[in-house]
Amino acid sequence: MLLNGIFVIIPVIGAVICAFLNKQKQAPGLLANIILLFGFLISLHIFFMSLGQEWFFGEDVLSAFMLIMIYMVALAVAFFAVFAASTKRRGSYFAILLVITAGMAGVVCSQDLFTLYVFLEVVAVASFVLIAFYNREKSTEGAIRYFYLSSIASAFILFAISLLLLYTGDTTYEGLVKTILQTQGNSAPLNIILGTLAVALMIKTGLFPFHSWTPDAYESASSPISALLAGIVTKVAGTYALVLVCMLLSIVNFGIEHNTVGKAIMWFGLGSIVFGALAAQEQKDFKRMLAYSSISQMGYITIAAALATPLAMAGALFHIFNHATFKTLLFFCAGNVKKATGTTAINEMRGLQEKMPYTSATATIGMLATAGLPPFSGFWSKLFIIAALWQAGFIGMSVTALFASVLTLAYFLKLQRGMFFGSASKNIANVKEQGMGFLIPCFALAFIIIAVGIYFPFIYNNFLSPFIKVLQ
Amino acid sequence: MFDITGLMIFTVLFPFVGALLIPILKHFKLDSGKVALFTAAGTFVSAFLLCYYVSFGLFPVYRIPMPLGMDFHLLGDAMSAFMAAAASFLSFIIMYYSQGYIKESAYKAEFYFAAMLFLGAMMGLVFSANLAWIFVFWEITALCSWRLVGYFRADSDIAKANKTFLITVFGALFLFLALVAIANSNGTIDLTELRGATIPFYATLFIILAAFSKSAIFPFSSWLPDAGVAPSPVTALLHAAVLVKIGVFAFAKIFTFIILDITAAELVMYVAAISSLIAGAAALKETNIKRVIAYSTISQLGFIFFAIAIGGGLGTTAAFLFILMHGVAKGGLFLCAGIIEHKTHTKDITKMGGLAKVMPITALAFGFCALSVMGIPPFGGFFSKFMVFLAAAGEAPTMAIVLFAFAALLTLAYLTRLFHIVFIASPKQNFTKSKHEAPHQMMISVSVLAILSLLLGLFVQWPLGYLSTMFGGAL
Repeated sequence: MLLNGIFVIIPVIGAVICAFLNKQKQAPGLLANIILLFGFLISLHIFFMSLGQEWFFGEDVLSAFMLIMIYMVALAVAFFAVFAASTKRRGSYFAILLVITAGMAGVVCSQDLFTLYVFLEVVAVASFVLIAFYNREKSTEGAIRYFYLSSIASAFILFAISLLLLYTGDTTYEGLVKTILQTQGNSAPLNIILGTLAVALMIKTGLFPFHSWTPDAYESASSPISALLAGIVTKVAGTYALVLVCMLLSIVNFGIEHNTVGKAIMWFGLGSIVFGALAAQEQKDFKRMLAYSSISQMGYITIAAALATPLAMAGALFHIFNHATFKTLLFFCAGNVKKATGTTAINEMRGLQEKMPYTSATATIGMLATAGLPPFSGFWSKLFIIAALWQAGFIGMSVTALFASVLTLAYFLKLQRGMFFGSASKNIANVKEQGMGFLIPCFALAFIIIAVGIYFPFIYNNFLSPFIKVLQ
Repeated sequence: MFDITGLMIFTVLFPFVGALLIPILKHFKLDSGKVALFTAAGTFVSAFLLCYYVSFGLFPVYRIPMPLGMDFHLLGDAMSAFMAAAASFLSFIIMYYSQGYIKESAYKAEFYFAAMLFLGAMMGLVFSANLAWIFVFWEITALCSWRLVGYFRADSDIAKANKTFLITVFGALFLFLALVAIANSNGTIDLTELRGATIPFYATLFIILAAFSKSAIFPFSSWLPDAGVAPSPVTALLHAAVLVKIGVFAFAKIFTFIILDITAAELVMYVAAISSLIAGAAALKETNIKRVIAYSTISQLGFIFFAIAIGGGLGTTAAFLFILMHGVAKGGLFLCAGIIEHKTHTKDITKMGGLAKVMPITALAFGFCALSVMGIPPFGGFFSKFMVFLAAAGEAPTMAIVLFAFAALLTLAYLTRLFHIVFIASPKQNFTKSKHEAPHQMMISVSVLAILSLLLGLFVQWPLGYLSTMFGGAL
């Protein structure tokens, strides 16, 4: 699909222009928003135009779906950042935001592992810059931690890709699938190579036990940036690529039984679910809690992706979408709280609900959706994932993953109690609700969460079932 | 021709619409309480009409197809219509009571919003014939009860609200597991397609566990007494009349379609009996008025589970008659407790006494409701309890019947004790009699429920006749 190129090129052009507008106050933000809105509409248009066409392997349905999500989240973040980013270097800020969007679009549009790697690096470098944007000591530390772990991951990826090139002579997805299908029966080398790749991508996703960079990076970055990182960057740079690897893995040993490497990845996923949820209980900071919650939710996506049955894949994609909406929303709410009160520490101020009713209400919606409570969107994706696990015979895993959602609910209730509900403490007397610029993205995301939750067939019929059809 | 399907959809949708209108109309200076009252009234009228039409054998069906067998499927059978009418009637009375109880506060709109959302979810749950949607509505009720129990914002109140929420969500996940298991073993989660099917034993167990947690049967019962921190109308709505009946209702509804395993049925009987006895004993020792009544609820819910587990026409009839009678009487008791608390500013019964002189109407209403719960003829509660034992005779194991007979005796004991300490015993402190015991809405509500407890007993042939014709449980 040549057309996909525009999703990479236009933001880059925009970034260059933005960089020249560094002294301007409003222009860069406006430009970035226009470009992203435009990209979002085009991606929707392309998706609906190309429904029903036949593609190989389904990546194209997948890329189109991911493109829509990337632009949706990036747009929300850019809109939020226009109001929330307090920097004099607005030109650079939005330029890097556009670069990261271009990088993510590149990741999902590439049809070749090496191209994927190149774009992964673009995203990674842009993320370091954004995390450390304000030159604060803490955020620089977070960025450097991310940088170290990410470079290890990159080394692994490069190593795996070169081995793959040696072994199969090809790095395009199409070529890989062909070779894999030919070498049925001698799967050990492929398993090892893809396993290495998977480990590297788990680092980028921030799965347990490779998670140590996520809480620091999310906590130290400014709120729009944490929203971007948790909402979409780790999903594209980590989970999406992991989903691809899992799909490749699922055709190694195809039809015999579940792949050993796939099973191993599932255990990592389960570990993340439980660890993230347990670690989140102890957090004293809103954003750190959200970071651990992300680790836990990424576990759900990973476990489903590694299972790789059609239902599980649908669940994984659906959960990627849902997590993108509710985690972005929650980080926005954290941003609102930080902006209004100057801190995101839990238990330091109580009863914010009275002063910030809209932030509090949308945050509650985001939290309940994360915990997988109906009628919010998170419930349906979790249902898919749990049902797929049960169906495939992983009953123990499915029960564990299910009951981990009580843990999710538990830490969010703790947060609710320590921050939003509860009788109002004295130190919040002067706190005011944020302006409309901050609230509109929150409302929009909350609306998506509720709408999808009430009528999930909209997402299922339009986005997931075409993908499943191609898979089968 | 009257559109009966439309009536059913209206019953489900109307409370939701009302709930959404509450925050909007608040901006137009319309009292949230009035909106809620109107909504509840409308819901009750349509549910009652539905109940009437269903008795002619017209069962409305409404279906929105959804992928993976999760069709949004509403089915208005007799059980559902009866439950909807009973629940919405009690909600209406309780909303009327709230007009006097809930003062102007920042959370007033939130209270009525959550209450109406709860009613809507209840209606949805009652009519749903698809396990996935039963689960969805089930969890919405949990969500609303979380906000309703956490109405007061002191730290301990919020903590108890969270506890309630966590336990019920934990229990509900068993229903989730059950639906996944049933989807996997039977290929469908639509109850009408599961008619006459058998499901794996563990799936049955999951459903039972879920029902126990929602209906506060031991070992999941600890949240119910704690949830008494809520305002009295909330306790009445959630913990006496409506929410705790969800578990028993879902259990009854699911197992009218699916065949209940005989071992599972006996298990339910014994666990329910033990739960009734433990709760009855706890009610004897407790000194917090709302906790006594809450334990009494747990104890009475055991009887309903017992009746459903017996099954057959007679058992089901007994169970639903019990749901009605207990909802009316126990709702009345909780509302009276609210008036007492309002007057004495305490929940501790050891500090009360002699209140019969200070608040005679409340005492009378409390007495009527208590007599009904005890099962003294000619009050309504007698007939429901009698029906349960009638259904049990010959069908249930003797041991279970004996245990329940003890539980019934305990009911007599702890309610007499409660009434004595609160109303008759010599007063520990002087309460002065005032002209009004409480705002008139509160007094009218409890009087209505008290009189109804009696009338439902005197004219028991109507509800009993309706239920036994519909369920085929002829006497």
